[in-house]
Amino acid sequence: MSNSTLWIVLLRMRMPFIVIIVTYTIAITGLLLIDGVDDKGNVYHMSIFDAYYFITYTATTIGFGETPYAFTYPQRMWVSFSIYLTVLGWFYGIGTLVSLLQDKVLLEELRRNKFRRNVKDIRQSFIIVLGYNNITSEIIKKALSYDIKTVVIESDESRVNDLLLENFTPYVPVLLSDVSSPKVLEEAGIEKSNCKGLVCLFNDDKLNLKIAVMAKLLNRNIKLVVKATTMNQGENLEDIGVDIVANPFSIISKEIDVAFKAPNILKLEKWIYKLDNLNAHTPNFPIGRYIICGFGRMGNYLHNRLSDNNIELVFIEIDEKKLVNYKEDSVSKIIIGDADDKKILTKAGILESVAIIAATNDDTTNLSILSSAKKLNPKIITIARENELGYISMFQNSRIDHVFLPANILINKTTNALINPLSDMFIQEMITKDEAWASSLVKRLTQTIDESPLLESIEIDNYDAPEIYKHLDNGEELKLKIFRTSLHNRELNNNVVPLALIRGDEKYLIPDWDMPLEKNDKILFACDKYARDDMQHIAQNIYEFYYAYSGKEKRTILRRILK
Amino acid sequence: MNMDKVISGFFIILAMTVNFGFVYGDLDTMTHHSKYELFAAIIINVIATVLKLGDRTQVGSVLLATSLVADIQLITAASVWTIATYASVVTSEVSTTIVSLSAGALLANFVSVLLYVGDTLKSKR
Repeated sequence: MSNSTLWIVLLRMRMPFIVIIVTYTIAITGLLLIDGVDDKGNVYHMSIFDAYYFITYTATTIGFGETPYAFTYPQRMWVSFSIYLTVLGWFYGIGTLVSLLQDKVLLEELRRNKFRRNVKDIRQSFIIVLGYNNITSEIIKKALSYDIKTVVIESDESRVNDLLLENFTPYVPVLLSDVSSPKVLEEAGIEKSNCKGLVCLFNDDKLNLKIAVMAKLLNRNIKLVVKATTMNQGENLEDIGVDIVANPFSIISKEIDVAFKAPNILKLEKWIYKLDNLNAHTPNFPIGRYIICGFGRMGNYLHNRLSDNNIELVFIEIDEKKLVNYKEDSVSKIIIGDADDKKILTKAGILESVAIIAATNDDTTNLSILSSAKKLNPKIITIARENELGYISMFQNSRIDHVFLPANILINKTTNALINPLSDMFIQEMITKDEAWASSLVKRLTQTIDESPLLESIEIDNYDAPEIYKHLDNGEELKLKIFRTSLHNRELNNNVVPLALIRGDEKYLIPDWDMPLEKNDKILFACDKYARDDMQHIAQNIYEFYYAYSGKEKRTILRRILK
Repeated sequence: MNMDKVISGFFIILAMTVNFGFVYGDLDTMTHHSKYELFAAIIINVIATVLKLGDRTQVGSVLLATSLVADIQLITAASVWTIATYASVVTSEVSTTIVSLSAGALLANFVSVLLYVGDTLKSKR
């Protein structure tokens, strides 16, 4: 009996039970001993059952009168005494039970049990999310939309209530508990084989590290997404073996860096994250002087990233203490002062600058800086960091050229990495390529398919693509081309572009159609709706595969007769 | 001396002895078996059961199980007796049933005592 609620109840009800038994016994024994008189005037003694019956309805204050015969005075005296005795005992028992049901410890235990049951019942893939806030709430929604369940652990009761009010479907089990104990992670099902990942995006780096270590020890095979806000922390997490180190500042500076070097890569990335289509306006960052307001963690990252892009950087920072990490180099200089002050902006050379980045951790300050800058230099390109993730964005109606929202990038990166590991890998590989590669891919995608192709990943195994797997298993050869075949007419090609093929540790970006397939290959395609249906049919349906492969209709039933 | 141990030991052993007292005698002769003794046996057994509640050890769980078995046997015996008395006639067949049911309870109580004593001997304190 591991069910501890029952034990709590039993332990607490011990005394009331004893009291009830003892009081009943005393009352019943008294009734058995005292002489009664029946309706004919003979002396009788109550039987045990008579006495038990009488006391049962008396103690519970129901009262059916005097049975089996009217009582004598000595009996009545005894009964008056027993009423006080048994009723008190009975009420004491009921009272204990009621107070027990309102007991915090018990309720906590009941909730925990329900949570454990819910986690145990999850049959499909699920992820564990630690902490419930705006960001993780978005992650949960995205995961659910991909038919991946989530389990949440949150230490703050009001946030748990927020989650319950959100009323996710399917149901999201949530446990109110401290997050940093192995026992809690076990309860959340981290050791189950269908647990695919753990999301831990606290602002406390130490806590994140602790949880990451615990999670890796409990289950080596899950994907960990952990937030880090410093380089050092990021390296620590990578040493442990965390799959995705979510560092919002590094992500955002990488984004800006990519936007400089290869805007089309950024475009592809936005398309994969379903933020935009391939016909969207390509962001354009001119070469020249950039003013960056705020030299905190983000400013630091920008400094490291942008210094090699042949642009001049001018930092403005209000707090002198933050300059300890600053290393003097040829392309950047730093001014101490309030970036919202027009004098300081002029001193930083606002009139000669091409762009201004407001990178402080306060949205109002960022907005205010950019509007001052616009007044001084109407032609300047404005770039803002948005911190608050809310339903209504303050930046929506401000005419800022580029708004980077670290939280949003974090959400997209996390869910994509957990749910579509193939496309996550593709993005990581893609970032190392150049602008020419990216623009030709964008062209190919838009010409072959449309401006917002779908992504489809297929693994050549017995579950995902049984027909192809069997065929390769028989030692036959098969080319990647098979996936392009139209099932309406074999001579035609569907609108498909192969994006990546993974074979063990080898990664092939944009593989050739003539590439021979092997077992356990994982392939990522961009395609349209029809092509997706056809690909799934070819991979899984014996008849469709046969047609695509040989151009004939497969005969199974009439095969022997028509040989 | 552990007062808890004394009290629970007392009731566990008393449950067995009273139960034995009731069972002792001819199977089909009801005069050998006092109804008051059965009454007492039931009460003491129930008290013994309650005293075993909430003990989460392995031995505690088995003790509770045996105790519940004894309760069920004795209460069934009492119910049979009550029903036979008020709704039909106490034949020798009925009385055999009553006594053998309580004899079953005696066996459970005996196991209970064995377990209890064994556990006590094993304990270091």
